[in-house]
Amino acid sequence: MNDVEITAAEEERVAVIPPKPQPKKRKVSKIERRENLIAFLFIALPVAGFIIFTAISMVFTFVFSFQDYWSRRGVSEFVGFKHYINLFSGMGTPGEVGNQYLKSIGNTLFLLLSMPISLFLGLVVAGLLRLGDIKGSKVYQVLYYLPAVSSAVALNIVWRYIFRSDGVLNYIFGTETAWFADPMLVKCAIIIKNSLNGMGHAMILFLAGMLNVPKDLYEASSLDGASKVRQFFSITIPMITPVAFYLLITGLIGGLQSFADSQVFANNYSGAQTIVHFIWAKRTDGVSGYGIASAASILLSICIMIITLIQFKLSNKWVYEE
Amino acid sequence: MENQDMLLNMPEPESGKTEKEKKDIKQKALRIGLRVFTYLIMSVGAFILVFPYLWMILSSFKGADEAALEFTFFPRRWSTEAYTQLFTDPNFPIFRGLLNTVIIEVSVIFIGTFVSAMAAFSFAKLKLRFKTFWLLFLMSGMMVPYAALMLPQYRAFEALGMTDTLWPLILPGFFGNVSMIFFLTQYMRGIPNAYFEAARIDGANHFTCFVVIMFPLVYTAIAAQVIFWFVGIWNDYFAPSIYLSSPETKTLQVLLGGLNEQGSGVYLPMSLAGSFLASIPMLVIYITCQKFFIESLAISGVKG
Repeated sequence: MNDVEITAAEEERVAVIPPKPQPKKRKVSKIERRENLIAFLFIALPVAGFIIFTAISMVFTFVFSFQDYWSRRGVSEFVGFKHYINLFSGMGTPGEVGNQYLKSIGNTLFLLLSMPISLFLGLVVAGLLRLGDIKGSKVYQVLYYLPAVSSAVALNIVWRYIFRSDGVLNYIFGTETAWFADPMLVKCAIIIKNSLNGMGHAMILFLAGMLNVPKDLYEASSLDGASKVRQFFSITIPMITPVAFYLLITGLIGGLQSFADSQVFANNYSGAQTIVHFIWAKRTDGVSGYGIASAASILLSICIMIITLIQFKLSNKWVYEE
Repeated sequence: MENQDMLLNMPEPESGKTEKEKKDIKQKALRIGLRVFTYLIMSVGAFILVFPYLWMILSSFKGADEAALEFTFFPRRWSTEAYTQLFTDPNFPIFRGLLNTVIIEVSVIFIGTFVSAMAAFSFAKLKLRFKTFWLLFLMSGMMVPYAALMLPQYRAFEALGMTDTLWPLILPGFFGNVSMIFFLTQYMRGIPNAYFEAARIDGANHFTCFVVIMFPLVYTAIAAQVIFWFVGIWNDYFAPSIYLSSPETKTLQVLLGGLNEQGSGVYLPMSLAGSFLASIPMLVIYITCQKFFIESLAISGVKG
């Protein structure tokens, strides 16, 4: 902070000193150079943070993925592609690393199903609010968005309680389903929970998208005699596909990194183990565990980076424009 | 909304009067029907979404055996047992947890926001060479998932003897927050350059320009970002759960997660009571700033 102030003070002096009879070009470039330096000092901390916490960490993850690691002695040994090969072998045999990894991939992908469902539910309620044109639409928006600002842990604890064998769900439907004892059911429970809790977020973005549809489209079509419902399906829905796309991509990126569902909601039950949970659990598993976990996180990052790049390419929302 | 109503009521010149009236009545009926239907569906949905909170609060007042063994909506016997347990259990030092969460919140937000806003000022208003490169450089970090970074970071903090302290959660925050930098850069670009040119002529340096002129002008935008960040840190679970292992260092969320792992029985009403208490600050912030939450969210999704 001191550095900035000192240079800033010097800069001030330069700016205040009356111009000496010097070649004009050089003086401007000197001031500019100072401003460049100060501007860089202003962004120095975030850049340093990026280098330390992202770039270097990433390189180390990459290096670790080729090593065995004896944590007690702090010794590493280069083992080549062993961990990557391990991740993709023995997939059919239960208990093998590859099998666990494959299962965690399957679980993570299956849980992504909650995304289209919450998107659909969000679109339905947004459409209803738009078409129904009711009073108190704001109140509903606040209530529906509530789960999005709540802590995942608290929500998971309550929803776990709801899905218990003697919980509300079984009481209402008169069933005795043991949601947490079956790998399929536990995933369905997570999907139900996430679909409901994600719907408000989708709804609000859809509503905002709907407000952004140019009004003259509606005016023109109503002159042609199109009903409100017809307008909704032929104008509104096609016009808000970018919102749906945005939700889909951000949901995908978040969903691939899901952890709390697996750890808190399913209480570490292997039937609902996600990729990130696999990585974290594998880490301490013998000398190869750390390397295997690193290899798995490198693969996951590559997937997520590809998805993000696709988003950058296809939508100009995040593109920086000078 | 109003526009559409007007459109629907617009007279149609060709149709005869009786036909027009009929059509009006039909449309009115349709509209009322749609409205009733909307209320119905929306209320059912709202009930489903709010129910978990209601049940969480109600069940936190149940006795341990009642909560664990049978289904009741309202507690058969109202008891504050769970709350007394919560405040006395040595494995669940709730005030310590609250303090830890607040320590992280305050230090990260104060320093991180200042650093982020300063960087945004540089991106928006100063002549920085390779500006686009640096911004893209920082933003590229947004696509790296935490999963790819946590293993070496953990090892580094372990080597520094910082695991089971709050440092691994605080230190990264000191270097600013990329999404905040990006948002504030966009926002600061909208502030006219004339303010700063005038100040520069009066002899103010860049740092003074930032603190005295820019900061007051954008502080609502900063407040908006701070609230989101605050909520994010409050609810953060993954990183804290990795680093914090002893009860005295755990944040509220990690304490709650730990209670959940203990399983059912005595701990059930207790973890519900804890969840409720830990949710209160967020609920208060959300309800008081709801307009702002929903509007900012809408803007972020549509315009970016």
